[in-house]
Amino acid sequence: MTGTPHPHDERCLEFFKKLSEYIDEELDEESCRKIEKHVEDCAPCQACLETLKATTGLCRRLKEKPVPAELSDRLKKMARELAI
Amino acid sequence: MSTNPRKSSTRNNQNDTELVRAIQSGQVDLFPELVLRYERKLYNFGLRMCRDVNDAEDLVQDTFLNVFKYINGFRHEAKFKNWLYKIATSVCLKKRRQKKYEPERTLSLEDFLPRDEAEMVRQTPDWATIPLDQLLNEELADQLNTAIHALPPKYRLVSVLRDIEGFSTSETARILDISSTNVKVRLHRARFFLREELKNYFEHDRNTPSAR
Repeated sequence: MTGTPHPHDERCLEFFKKLSEYIDEELDEESCRKIEKHVEDCAPCQACLETLKATTGLCRRLKEKPVPAELSDRLKKMARELAI
Repeated sequence: MSTNPRKSSTRNNQNDTELVRAIQSGQVDLFPELVLRYERKLYNFGLRMCRDVNDAEDLVQDTFLNVFKYINGFRHEAKFKNWLYKIATSVCLKKRRQKKYEPERTLSLEDFLPRDEAEMVRQTPDWATIPLDQLLNEELADQLNTAIHALPPKYRLVSVLRDIEGFSTSETARILDISSTNVKVRLHRARFFLREELKNYFEHDRNTPSAR
């Protein structure tokens, strides 16, 4: 698997579980500092973090599709009828 | 000119509050404006949550019918948008129960760990180093949307609400009536699931991109 931690390294596993919270800035400063220090020295964990960050970033950039005109017309009609 | 998303969200909420209060006070002729304001957001939420376009369209329509029915009971304790998504989520879950889909699959973090040293990659792959706006083309967006559809529904809901709709952990927890811890657990597993799908796409279905 791409960029996942050492299977038997407890420290990597501990960080592996917290990476989303780290990306979302939901961890305290001390935990963030520990993760940053760890990934500096652990290439598989760094790869894991970067691929997870990219995945999250791509989701956040997905564009919306326009509403089909037929649905929009139907909704408009429904809303007007409800409002009478 | 760039806009501050937090300020923009606050402004939208103020606008929603004014409009909803007006409708609650009897100006129901303003309801079509509320529909127009959220039809696109809900349609896209429906497309991500349902398997086909007709179901997505039904979800939008049923959600607005419920909003109209219950709007006088909305007490402005949460943002209107959050209440709207709570209704949309409940419509979505009800539809799923009616369709009697297969039982929910549970994702385990163990599934995303390498089985041995040979499976471990020690270097960040190229695709995760390219600026995301440069990386995200139509083909990749299609792949990612397909991967989101492949997520088991309880993980898909959290992933869509958090990473696509932009709700916070606590807002998502309130929309889904689950704990924040549960939101975090589901989101983490969902992200690893999607990451695996992207990894497979870049390694097998497409040549690894290079920075242009």
